[in-house]
Amino acid sequence: MAGSNEVNANESKMVVPLNTWVLISNFKLAYNMLRRPDGTFDRHLAEFLDRKVPANATPVNGVVSFDVLIDRPNNLLARIYRPAPSTASAAPLLTDLYRAPSSDPFPVIIFFHGGSFAHSSSNSAIYDSLCRRFVSLCGAVVVSVNYRRAPDHKYPCAYDDGWAALKWASGEPWLRSGKDAKLRVFLAGDSSGGNIAHHVALRAAESGIEVAGNVLLNAMFGGNCRTESEKRLDGKYFVTIQDRDWYWKAYLPEGADRDHPACNPFGPKGVKLEGLPFTKSLVIVAGLDLVQDWQLAYADGLKKAGHFVKLVYREQATIGFYLLPNTNHFYQVMEEIKNFVGSNLL
Amino acid sequence: MKREHQETEAGGGGGYHVATAGDMTGAKGKMTAGPSMGTEDDDCGVDELLAALGYKVRSSEMADVAQKLEQLEVAMASTAAAASDDASVLPQIASDTVHYDPSDLATWLDSMLSELNAPPPPLPPPPPVAASVHHHHHRFDVSTASAVSEPPAITTVAPLRPSDAYDFKPVPAPAAASGGRVVYGLDPQSEMIVSPRDQKRKRTCSPSSSSSRGAEAGRARGSRTEGASSAKPAAAVPVVVVDTQESGIRLVHALMACAEAVQQENLKAADALVKHISVLAASQDGPMRKVAGYFAAAIARRIYRRRPLSQVDRALDSPALDDLLHGHFYESCPYLKFAHFTANQAILEAFSSCRRVHVIDFGMRQGLQWPALLQALALRPEGPPSLRLTGIGPPQSDHSDALQQVGWKLAMLAKSIGVDFRYRGFVASSLADLESRMLLERDGNEGDRDDEGEEEAVAVNSVMELHRLLARTGALEKVLRMVLAVRPRIVTVVEEEANHNGGTFLDRFTEALHYYSSMFDSLEGSGGQAAEAGEEEQQQHRAMAEAYLGRQICNVVACEGAERTERHETLGQWRGRMARAGFEPAHLGSNAFKQASMLLALYAGGDGFRVEETDGCLTLGWHTRPLIATSAWRVSAAATR
Repeated sequence: MAGSNEVNANESKMVVPLNTWVLISNFKLAYNMLRRPDGTFDRHLAEFLDRKVPANATPVNGVVSFDVLIDRPNNLLARIYRPAPSTASAAPLLTDLYRAPSSDPFPVIIFFHGGSFAHSSSNSAIYDSLCRRFVSLCGAVVVSVNYRRAPDHKYPCAYDDGWAALKWASGEPWLRSGKDAKLRVFLAGDSSGGNIAHHVALRAAESGIEVAGNVLLNAMFGGNCRTESEKRLDGKYFVTIQDRDWYWKAYLPEGADRDHPACNPFGPKGVKLEGLPFTKSLVIVAGLDLVQDWQLAYADGLKKAGHFVKLVYREQATIGFYLLPNTNHFYQVMEEIKNFVGSNLL
Repeated sequence: MKREHQETEAGGGGGYHVATAGDMTGAKGKMTAGPSMGTEDDDCGVDELLAALGYKVRSSEMADVAQKLEQLEVAMASTAAAASDDASVLPQIASDTVHYDPSDLATWLDSMLSELNAPPPPLPPPPPVAASVHHHHHRFDVSTASAVSEPPAITTVAPLRPSDAYDFKPVPAPAAASGGRVVYGLDPQSEMIVSPRDQKRKRTCSPSSSSSRGAEAGRARGSRTEGASSAKPAAAVPVVVVDTQESGIRLVHALMACAEAVQQENLKAADALVKHISVLAASQDGPMRKVAGYFAAAIARRIYRRRPLSQVDRALDSPALDDLLHGHFYESCPYLKFAHFTANQAILEAFSSCRRVHVIDFGMRQGLQWPALLQALALRPEGPPSLRLTGIGPPQSDHSDALQQVGWKLAMLAKSIGVDFRYRGFVASSLADLESRMLLERDGNEGDRDDEGEEEAVAVNSVMELHRLLARTGALEKVLRMVLAVRPRIVTVVEEEANHNGGTFLDRFTEALHYYSSMFDSLEGSGGQAAEAGEEEQQQHRAMAEAYLGRQICNVVACEGAERTERHETLGQWRGRMARAGFEPAHLGSNAFKQASMLLALYAGGDGFRVEETDGCLTLGWHTRPLIATSAWRVSAAATR
């Protein structure tokens, strides 16, 4: 019997707090119901099950959020998170929301939520929570992009939407800061969002748009061959090779395999990064994530191409460790992100 | 089917509290059962971290829930193995099971476990969406079938006189405030708009009653709030910016400044700003221009308020005109269709296997909701029940019997599709004028039609009617008591999802501006392939729909006291009110959600419309802003006498 059908609850239960285990197992269960063997996806049930939160212009813990339609033809929404504007009224006016949080340099983090290209939205509760934290952590304005998802929208839709968001941010005067009135933009994402961050950064490098840094949290990469970590960890910590395969099939073009450069940027069909002004990267890898070999290969590939990489490897962390603030992994990784963003805020 | 389940509520303002995200020193490595954030007693011990992510799990239940997850995984894995080698998914669980309230993990998992362990007989197919009926709702295809052998049982009860048995106090207008804060209590300078019918009654308002009215907003400004939590977080203000043009932002800014001037009684400044707004709006295009126009006009009306209501005002206030605009609003965008569809879904489920049913519609109007229900009942596998429909409507100024007309049309339709149907209309200026015994009693000539000893299942349906009652102290409570007395199987409530009834004038204005901006923007996006109207007709619908909304804007901004009837409140607030009145939630499930989503794809143009589920209720919104919410209710066990 394939490893994916073994129940390894005991192992995964020992490495995460119980409420984290419940949260991630619940996602796993729900997601299993949504993926159909024929490659279709129960989008209605997915939207029904997803826990969402509205934007909120009233400050909560010093952070406000509001949604912006950044590209009408594609109905591309983004949720903007920012430090609460310092005004007299409790409910900020629209003009306050559109004012720079400070004249001193501040980072703008364009965030791509995870969900293996198929799940979640910018208004999903788990990502709303994470983005708010980034604001407090880095004094940043966070732009969480509600990119089009698979299988309804395949490659390259997610990348196009990411690129549209970067262009939009470049055109907003209130997002510039410092004496040189520059957009100090970081691209960040978890799971599929990390993958998107890479590809948008690549396009930025090819187009001469400066990105201050990339933050990749458990980024989603893969390839045709089965790596050692995939075989070893298949089905053990919430994730299976089978589900990874399903999501790649859903996102990649019809007939493509997992060596497609979207999935495997340093594989046989990858784009050469040498000589490109590719940004600096903070690559965070969870030691119990079955695709870690691909993530490590990614970091390696960047290094070999002459680009700066800081690799943070959390040995006993599983996927989704950054969703609940209840482990050392969480706090220490947040600290790494804070330091990376702070030190690259040129 | 549905589980009897007591909701534990954490107070108003949305589905759940956001836990303190900035708590970096929180517990690590273990389940957190930290201190509650001012939540109710019955909410104790909910895992705060999961609650922040939308899941309600009691810390004491965590291990239990974990076990259920494991059990489900085992069950699914073994079924998958039995089915085929490479099936890691179990589509049946998704397509056959109806899911309810995914936030309540324990109950959700239980329902799936019972599905897997004891596979139920094949579920009856969900009532089909009779799309064709939706098209012809206002045409009432009258079959020219055999002559009616007996007169259709339609009666209209003569206009009722408001009873003097209870004391209604109109809600006082907020006093001239200092610093924009509402001063509660009787202020001799406050304008008390008293309609003629109330002149007999006492005019005093005790401070406690007025404070409970104004404090319903959820803004914690030291005002006492009714019911549950004491320290509520400030109400959420969802903002969706669809127009990021510089000019659009300046326009909003001007409107806000104007409202602020009004609040500070600086009428000169307000007047100047109104003129400035008109200039700015002229250079705008699209929905923002129209919204600005309506808000500016409403402010102007407020500044130059004429009292008593002029002849023109009274003429414009006719229910016939209102119904006409309402009909266009129905055509131009999916909100009312969604309301009717989701409410009907809940009613159908509640009526399943009942042979005699009675629907009481608090706002009959043109009866647009009922053809679809008739069709669905006719197509029930077990055959249609006999349906009694009671429609309530306001007095018509031209003495026409609109209520009777609608009844006739529905009776014709019912006859053509073979549903035993009786109709009765009640004319009432206010729902609070009704008594339960009136609604329950039957006419004499129905005696020979009664089934032996079969109880009648009652549904009470209210689409955007309850909020009007908030204009008079005690009216809503009286109506809800009446609903209880009618012993309904289900109560369906649809309301605008906004707080246009609390805080200061400026708060209300801000909320309304955001709400109607989204609304108007969505009108531009509406249309859809299934719209049978041509381009020109669609434009006419839209123009009328905008006028319909414009009247609401005017009421929210320019009126006060008993005159201000558009007192919209949020789902969170309604939950509190219904719970206090003795009702418990009846959850709307994934099947209703799915069908509503599919209906939307048919009728709405563009992907901007979103259906969302929150705590067992369904909302329809534009992008991420919910604009209308459907909830369903049962009489709670505790309230059963």
